[in-house]
Amino acid sequence: MRVMVLVKADKDSEAGIMPSEDILTKMGAYNEELVKAGVMLAGEGLHPTSKGLRMRFSGSERTITDGPFAETKELLCGFWLWQVKSFAEAVEWLKRAPFDGGTEIELRPVFEMEDFGEALTPELREQEDRLRAEAAKRAG
Amino acid sequence: MRFMVMVKATKDSEAGAPPTRELLEAMMAYNEELVKAGIMKGGDGLQPSSKGARVQFDGSKRSVVDGPFTETKELVAGYWLWECASLDEATAWVKRCPNPMPGPSEIEIRPLFELADFGEVVTPEAAAAWDRLKAEVGQG
Repeated sequence: MRVMVLVKADKDSEAGIMPSEDILTKMGAYNEELVKAGVMLAGEGLHPTSKGLRMRFSGSERTITDGPFAETKELLCGFWLWQVKSFAEAVEWLKRAPFDGGTEIELRPVFEMEDFGEALTPELREQEDRLRAEAAKRAG
Repeated sequence: MRFMVMVKATKDSEAGAPPTRELLEAMMAYNEELVKAGIMKGGDGLQPSSKGARVQFDGSKRSVVDGPFTETKELVAGYWLWECASLDEATAWVKRCPNPMPGPSEIEIRPLFELADFGEVVTPEAAAAWDRLKAEVGQG
């Protein structure tokens, strides 16, 4: 199964303050372990919300609001995507991450095609497979 | 530039209400356009927060809190990873997205950090190690 790991922001990340070389080194070693274990599928840091925006959808209306956004501890500053045998395995990996004080990280299982049930027709499933393969080919 | 494009949760997505066949078809057609334009680098739906958990880090302490979580409109229900020339281009593509939810909804766009953004804190050795890890995982 795949799990998304969502790293919540804090006032430092929102202020664009870079992590220290010590943290970056420990994070590098941790990422290396994730790759070697075959767990790491993806991982990225997000720029502060001052560099981002939100778009609201209501009927046919689209409304844009520029960042920054206020609710700091609900914002994201980074994520991983992991391949694990169980949710419990993801929790155990996350406990080993080199974060120190005051960080909160959310784990969410990702939908696989089986989870969509009957609404995902064979045609749609085939299209999804084709699109993922095509996107992977273009990325490679 | 690369972006994370996040679909925020609603009470429908948190209730685990499956998407209709119409929405799946519209979204699949949209994803097809994103792939053909060379923009799509990844994307997934996240299961409701009732299937998730949060880990809180405090020094060496780890506390696990099971979902669901209450602040619905700050939760993430799905995401894409895109490569676009600018935030304006990413925004224009988001405007063309079919409304991902049955009612009003919100999509957040966040630029990703590239290694160069970390400046001097990332040593040449760390940068080389990171490139090697990404290559191993099969990411561009």
